[in-house]
Amino acid sequence: MSSRRPPRGEYIETDTGNKVARKATLVGTQNIMLGGKTVIQPEVMIRGDLVRTIQASSQSGATPNSTAVAIGRYCFLSRGCCLRPPGRLYKGAFTYMPLRMGDHVFVGPASVVQAASIGSHVHIGAKVAIGEFAIIKDYVRILDGTVVPPNTVIPSFSIVAGQPARLIGEVPEGGHEAFELRDLYKTVGNNPQPAPS
Amino acid sequence: MSSKRHSILPPVSSSGPKPPVHFSSSITIADSAILTGTHPIAIHGESVVHPRAKLDSLAGRITVGRRCVVHERSTLGAVFGASGRITEAAVTLGDYVTVEVGAAIEAGETVVGEGTVVGVGARVGAGAVVGKYCTLTPHSEIAAGEVIPDFTVVYSNGMRRPDKRGVAELRNKGMARQIDVLRRMIPSNPTKFA
Repeated sequence: MSSRRPPRGEYIETDTGNKVARKATLVGTQNIMLGGKTVIQPEVMIRGDLVRTIQASSQSGATPNSTAVAIGRYCFLSRGCCLRPPGRLYKGAFTYMPLRMGDHVFVGPASVVQAASIGSHVHIGAKVAIGEFAIIKDYVRILDGTVVPPNTVIPSFSIVAGQPARLIGEVPEGGHEAFELRDLYKTVGNNPQPAPS
Repeated sequence: MSSKRHSILPPVSSSGPKPPVHFSSSITIADSAILTGTHPIAIHGESVVHPRAKLDSLAGRITVGRRCVVHERSTLGAVFGASGRITEAAVTLGDYVTVEVGAAIEAGETVVGEGTVVGVGARVGAGAVVGKYCTLTPHSEIAAGEVIPDFTVVYSNGMRRPDKRGVAELRNKGMARQIDVLRRMIPSNPTKFA
């Protein structure tokens, strides 16, 4: 065979199965942790450069943890969304805090996420704005155009919508299977598979 | 992950004319900020411009006050559609203004007063005058030419209420702290735009 390298695909696929679009804007990649099998579509922006500047006083001996954004497995970041760590004044000084995201989290197109923590199996619709230090638990569905105010806590199995976000329903019994993102993961990348019908 | 990988930052399309700039020496402007247009862009002391923020002075001059923070993907001086012929279409931000992610401030003698926060994805129409210490919550829209009095909170699709917390001074102090941190985090490259 000739030594020609295969044509460059739209995505970079890592050993752990992450699919990162070449057109994604990842700032400060050394502070972004991807759990594996995560899809990052084009025009996504992740601000890994906004790291925590004040460490918790308890862990004086431990090595400083500089993760700004931690993402679990099978997450799906749609086109044009933006993840950035939340920042606030803490003991008289300003600091950013890490943004943690569980597994199977879907972030819709053009959404801006500045939450402190997002659980697993969370569906965030399109054009959603999640305020700073919001805490979103597991199996939550956030409908399109919702504005989640800063410091909100959304309990598990909630469906929220509106500006500001209000609880409008609960995920029904057995409805949690819809949050599974394994099939969606296979439909993007350099050799996408058709979605199972 | 052993090798030192650089951040994946696709090159910024540098189309359009390069505007004349008047920067204070103490500002922080990211390398990947986008400045375009023909009219002058002035940024005053200690302001921070995040990566991918867009300042477009094609319609008129842009003035950013002291200690402002312009977040990523926001656009100052955006021109949406054909909004008539405006000979002079400036955008002026007062001091301590925060323009959050993806917000847009249209050109056309638009003024944003001191200490105002323009929330995520909010839009300020052409010629609108937003007063001091206002809060525009995410996705709120200010129509073209509207005048918002000082200390107003715009929320829930255009509802308004006065802000009686009296935290303006505290907010300014917080902004100063935030800027101190951002200065150390964002590699600044003002010479690129000069």
